[in-house]
Amino acid sequence: MIRTAPRFFTLLAIPALLLGHAGTLPLQARTDQREARTMPWRAAGLDARQAATHFLDRFTFGPRPGDINRVVAMGLEAWFTEQLAAAHPDTALDNRLEPLESLDLTLHQTVERYPRPSSLLREMRREGTLPEGMEEQIAEGDRDELRRAAAGILRAQGLRPQRELYKEMLAQKLLRARYSENQLHEVLVDFWFNHFNVSTLDNEARPYVGLYERDAIRPHVAGHFRDMLGATARHPAMLLYLDNARSVAEEGVETAFDRTRRRSGRTGSGARAARFDGRTRKGESERARRRPSGLNENYARELLELHTLGVDGGYDQQDVREVARAFTGWTAEPPRRLMDEAGSRRLDRARRLPASSGFVFESGFVFRPDVHDAERKIVLGTRLPAGRGIQDGEAVLDLLASHPSTAHHIARKLAIRFVADEPPEPLVAALASTFAATQGDLAATLWALVEHEAFWAEAFRHQKIKSPLELAVSALRTLDVTVHRPRGVIEWVERMGQPLYAYQAPTGFPDRASSWVNTGALLARMNFGLALANGQIEGTRIDLAALADGREPASAEEALAAYVTLLLPERDPFETIRRLTPSLTDPELPSKLGAELSTDARDTSARDRLSQSPSGPLAQVVGLILGSPAFQRR
Amino acid sequence: MMDRRAFLKSGGIALLTMGAGPAFLARAAHASKTGAPRRKVLVTIFQRGAMDGIMAVPPLGGGASGDSALAKLRPQLFMPTAASGEGVRDLGTGFGLHPAFAPLLPMWRDSRLAIVHAVGSPDATRSHFDAQDYMESGTPGQKGTPDGWLNRVAGLLGHDATPFRSVAMTRALPRSLYGDQPAIAVTDLRDFRVGGERARATAHRGPVDATGFEALYDDNSERLLQDTARDTFDAVDTLSKLDVSRYRPAAAAAYPETSLGRALMQIAFLVKSDVGLEVAFAESGGWDTHVRQGAGTGSFARRARDMAQSIAAFWTDLGAHRDEVMVMTMTEFGRTVAENGSGGTDHGHGSAMFVLGNDVEGGAVHGQFPGLHRDALYEGRDLAVTTDFRSVFAEVAGAHLGVDDPARIFPGWQGPRLSLIRR
Repeated sequence: MIRTAPRFFTLLAIPALLLGHAGTLPLQARTDQREARTMPWRAAGLDARQAATHFLDRFTFGPRPGDINRVVAMGLEAWFTEQLAAAHPDTALDNRLEPLESLDLTLHQTVERYPRPSSLLREMRREGTLPEGMEEQIAEGDRDELRRAAAGILRAQGLRPQRELYKEMLAQKLLRARYSENQLHEVLVDFWFNHFNVSTLDNEARPYVGLYERDAIRPHVAGHFRDMLGATARHPAMLLYLDNARSVAEEGVETAFDRTRRRSGRTGSGARAARFDGRTRKGESERARRRPSGLNENYARELLELHTLGVDGGYDQQDVREVARAFTGWTAEPPRRLMDEAGSRRLDRARRLPASSGFVFESGFVFRPDVHDAERKIVLGTRLPAGRGIQDGEAVLDLLASHPSTAHHIARKLAIRFVADEPPEPLVAALASTFAATQGDLAATLWALVEHEAFWAEAFRHQKIKSPLELAVSALRTLDVTVHRPRGVIEWVERMGQPLYAYQAPTGFPDRASSWVNTGALLARMNFGLALANGQIEGTRIDLAALADGREPASAEEALAAYVTLLLPERDPFETIRRLTPSLTDPELPSKLGAELSTDARDTSARDRLSQSPSGPLAQVVGLILGSPAFQRR
Repeated sequence: MMDRRAFLKSGGIALLTMGAGPAFLARAAHASKTGAPRRKVLVTIFQRGAMDGIMAVPPLGGGASGDSALAKLRPQLFMPTAASGEGVRDLGTGFGLHPAFAPLLPMWRDSRLAIVHAVGSPDATRSHFDAQDYMESGTPGQKGTPDGWLNRVAGLLGHDATPFRSVAMTRALPRSLYGDQPAIAVTDLRDFRVGGERARATAHRGPVDATGFEALYDDNSERLLQDTARDTFDAVDTLSKLDVSRYRPAAAAAYPETSLGRALMQIAFLVKSDVGLEVAFAESGGWDTHVRQGAGTGSFARRARDMAQSIAAFWTDLGAHRDEVMVMTMTEFGRTVAENGSGGTDHGHGSAMFVLGNDVEGGAVHGQFPGLHRDALYEGRDLAVTTDFRSVFAEVAGAHLGVDDPARIFPGWQGPRLSLIRR
């Protein structure tokens, strides 16, 4: 691999937490400046409605009835400005999120309140506090029975089983996508979570995944890349998922703590007495806990390859190793429940140390100077001097965030998400240049995207295959489907190939058509459309007649035309209509279709009949359109 | 390798591929006429939770590595040998087999079933997630590998895929099948139809919907959607003609009513239906036996019996198709040699794998068993790993599927293949 050593990067020897982002204008000034500019959709040959539709296809989870008109009236620039600021009141969403109990808890409250029943049982068993009869149940291995019993014990202690946390995490994702007025933020959260992927399949990371999205991703999606990068680097979800929590200085290497002690005249490696392991488990044998471990390169490698520079970004294995050394001691605070007494004592002792000790504690993140490799490092040709602590990692993040390879890598990923699987290189270059010039200002980079002609090019309109989540939510939104309980839809999203928060590899879901479309997934997409339209997805309510209000179809053909226009706005409707018409006249199709629709639609009883029996022929028409090739694209 | 007549004799399924069948089968048939090797099927079973390889296949005999050592280390879990009942079955090779695995004994005696012992990952992790991730990506220690080892194998088969080439009988696609090659994740083949479960319940609506969708996707301007849709409709059509709901396993095959039993039965159905299956994935859960693992009965025995009965039924059911199929089990790591204070075992290192097939050097325990001496144990507590799991995976992919390219299946690995399959 080619090794680039850009000399113009100078490292600031001040803690990165204090680093500001010089050179960015206050929001208001920037907004005014933007509104004076226009997006080049006219030049691309679009009219205002087409432009608005394209915009909504790209930056929302799908337009609702009336959205296109609203955006046209408001103007794209004003809409984009408002969306970037996420300034829209979100009462409807807030009401739906209200019953979810976990969303506003702190990190510590969350992990303490939602233990895994199995770990609680194991602990109680060890302490001999299991209730009568549970021994036998455990031996019998009846999982459902055990789960119920464990849930009962948890509740009695004011706790909740971890699966409820997981359910709420999934629920809020779907509800926000469906109901939020600040759609762009939801789309961006989806994009950036996937970019900095962590997975609930990892038992240790699982309880932190929702918090991670809330605290490390969401606040920064229209902010600065460096801030998001820093927040993900410190978050327990990432530290556990990519193993940095267990990465410590190799044996024999001088740690930051050793140095402090030496300077203050205290000798010996008593530093290690303050050791507590990020993965300490009660009941693990001492030997297992004290197992000598050293550097773990997983986070360092993915930080370079996936989060910043990109695979061909100009680093080599030696850089990976040096970056891993810089991040030694960046670890996660284990939940108290999982720590034994000695571990808790060590943790409390470390907490009481003065700031000069170098220990940092911050909402589940811990920096441990006692296991931080304090010797000199060279990353991408830049020297990190010996004797530092947490500043090493922060300096690496500064270096990476401002690297041209990162600008290009991020620009390309944004262009893939918002333009095409193979985006044109001039567009990528333009985004990269804005990203670099603004020190990773993500809002400015998105403005550069919509101000670029390639964003509006005819060749790219309606070409991105929707992800399963985008497909499902766009159907919910365009049909104004009420979601009482999100679980049924979430299961369909999984069946279509996108288990939410559960992509195992740090790459995140591949964002390209070929990975979303295969026979199994395509069949599931068609079946999703049929199931949704027929009111057969648990927790959803659909009212097709209400939707058709004002233009009640008098025939099957008219129904088809009406729904194609509604579901596929600003597209050529004739192709879909032409293709579907023969199957409507198919002798197998119940002849009542015509009868049902020819009833005067203003007759309320007929309308009620339509809305109360969603499995009728209207539903069939709608189901077919939802499963059509045109609806798979945005 | 069976021919069509053998299939007709052995299977009770109405055959569709004699005449003008689905396009994907025509492509596959064309490939085999042009001299490509006949299709073989690899069936992998992932035992999630880390199987105690020492309990599954305990070393026998005196001395520090045999059962007298085990009896001391495992006062509650140890089982003496016996020819029947709850005793360990003597395999006659210095090893025993847990009695719940007894349904596998006929295949062992038939020299179709091999065991690889002290097998596992070179990576030291005792995290289920990490170890499963490494085993499925095929790159121990590297989390960023975007694709899974089975997906890479599928990509190296050297001929076109049918929609059913790679099938996981799981809700979500397993890490092993992540990657560029198309793969299906499905738990119930009856849902593989237009209309899904609904169509299963109310059969009348399916065909109309299918006609509508076919019209929509036919000659679509977008190649990917059009091609995929054509294969989808062909596959649906194929399955509906075969009618999986009426599938009756061969006479003596008794699948347990468990998710693994159902998974293997459906895999057998796909094998016999000749729809182009080459890589199948199933899983078995509940091997994380920290508490009250049990001996002749109990949680380990229940899992083992389910797995052995499922595999035995599958093998019986395959009948004349056995030449095509190889079954390989895997688990992320083994468990501590000594039992813990809860009558269970904790996360360890080396474990055991089963490999079943007509060409397998069966009736033997392969690999080097390092023994249970304190000095021989990994970190003083676990069975050491003497065979890298990739040595077994590479052997099976190479000798059975003809994908003899270990460096591309396992990037960065240059280890030897374990000799396990007759050539």
